[in-house]
Amino acid sequence: MSGLKEARIWLTILAAVVLLPVFVRHAIATEIWIFAIFGLGLNLLLGYTGLLSFGQATFFGSAGYVAGYLLKHYGVGVPLVLAVGIAVGALTAAVVGYLCVQRADLYFIMLTFALNQMFYFTAYQWTSVTGGEDGMPGIPRPDVLGLDIHGPLAYYALVAVLFLVALWVMKRIVESPLGKILQSIRENAPRAEALGYDVARMKLAAFVIGGAFSGLAGVLYAMLFGIVPLEAIGFVFSGNVVFATLIGGSGSLYGPVIGAFVFIWLSESVSAMWARWPLLLGVAFVIVVLFFRGGVVEAWARFWAWRAARRALTAMGADVSR
Amino acid sequence: MSLVRTERLTKAFGALTAVDGVSIEVQEGSLHSVIGPNGAGKTTFFNLLTGQLAPTSGRIVFDGRDIAGTPPHHIARLGIARSFQRTSIFPALTIADNVWLAAFARQESWRGLAWRRADGYPALAARARAVLAEVGLAGKADQPARAISHGEQRQLELAIALAATPRLLLLDEPAAGLSPDETQKMVALVRALKGRYTIVLIEHKIDVVMTMSDRISVMHFGSVIAEGTPTEIQRNAEVRRAYLGGVAAP
Repeated sequence: MSGLKEARIWLTILAAVVLLPVFVRHAIATEIWIFAIFGLGLNLLLGYTGLLSFGQATFFGSAGYVAGYLLKHYGVGVPLVLAVGIAVGALTAAVVGYLCVQRADLYFIMLTFALNQMFYFTAYQWTSVTGGEDGMPGIPRPDVLGLDIHGPLAYYALVAVLFLVALWVMKRIVESPLGKILQSIRENAPRAEALGYDVARMKLAAFVIGGAFSGLAGVLYAMLFGIVPLEAIGFVFSGNVVFATLIGGSGSLYGPVIGAFVFIWLSESVSAMWARWPLLLGVAFVIVVLFFRGGVVEAWARFWAWRAARRALTAMGADVSR
Repeated sequence: MSLVRTERLTKAFGALTAVDGVSIEVQEGSLHSVIGPNGAGKTTFFNLLTGQLAPTSGRIVFDGRDIAGTPPHHIARLGIARSFQRTSIFPALTIADNVWLAAFARQESWRGLAWRRADGYPALAARARAVLAEVGLAGKADQPARAISHGEQRQLELAIALAATPRLLLLDEPAAGLSPDETQKMVALVRALKGRYTIVLIEHKIDVVMTMSDRISVMHFGSVIAEGTPTEIQRNAEVRRAYLGGVAAP
């Protein structure tokens, strides 16, 4: 990608980060970037490695619970809690990933799903810690290095900064040799193995990195709402992030970011007006799968290609009115 | 000196013994061809050498150490590279990336694996460019591999194997499915590799094999039925029978 185009994308994202809280409720704006971090982690698996993980909430929820517990009962500071959340996400992903990467395709997907269910029911049963069905409420939002993040805008700023860091880190990763190796595994795993890459270990690496991102998102989510609801570790949540990423476009680094925006914005704003809003999401999903496999990113690129072609034709004097 | 030798190498799939007690010795720097009718076990033999399959019994000694049963990614890192009979590339990646990945895999150290920019390895980029130039794909480096013709994909297949700077190069029917023109080009390419690499070549086109090889092993029903120089093989009666009439013929 050319440097100019890259700069334009980052400027757009910066503008979005600054302007979003002007137009959207702060909590929703914050949730969008949290979901974007979550999606970035998933997309390393889904888009780059070609692994459909249906269990990302395992890492998201586990990190949320651990961080929530530390914040609530031990008064641990935010930087440490973030670090612990990332570590918990990575660690649970290492365990789950180790069990899953040995299998391929459908078995892989089902395993991620089944293990997610195991974590879910553990959280459901372990009421003394997780609060079971009621969730883990009363999670405080202490100052960060002397800065008060209690206000919604202040917290938004913290999340937005962490999102930008996360996006930059993920960009480095997908542009590194590992990023290329993961794509080669997606394209042709036996060939990657024959070249000298330990495919299982590389997949595990993708899992762990994705888990770390999920963990970060999970902690930020817990602090945003002051509660870890049981759903945060449930399969619907795992499904949502897959859904959002596909809508945004799994073929690009920025797809999940757009997907998070579309998904959260739709679900939060339309659901207030219309209780059957998931119908809309369903229609959006069908359109994406049938016509725009690359999601919004691809639809956007095609639109510009179409316009450029039209302009070129017009310049040549052709009649394009029909 | 032999770079690789197999000792009574055997692979059985249930009742079928695809490779049956094969002992072959490949001299360093030579071009050693393996020929034989379809189903003779040639590709299975390659899969054993590269670790895609674990042998039922027997040894594979590469550069003095037994590598039988070692996983493919280890064997590749030792310097054994192969091309596949059925084109096996990374379709959505650029041609340059296809080759770059092969070169990176052979790096001594994978420092910066997840952090350094992939375009920050000038030596690898140079290697990739050189290999693409050698096979005649230099002008297409930035195209996705799926966009080029079948013939060019066969050239890419070879380029991927070469980019790994292999000590042992296994070529599985590099000219499979090529037109006469493309075949000629491929034969010239392989001929140009002779002497610079230690090569084991599986090939059906007998005339090509006869003119290029230093030694030839003939496989039939999983066993080596003859081995020798091209002239010796040409004179061998058993080889003629295997090729012309099958073993049942008188």
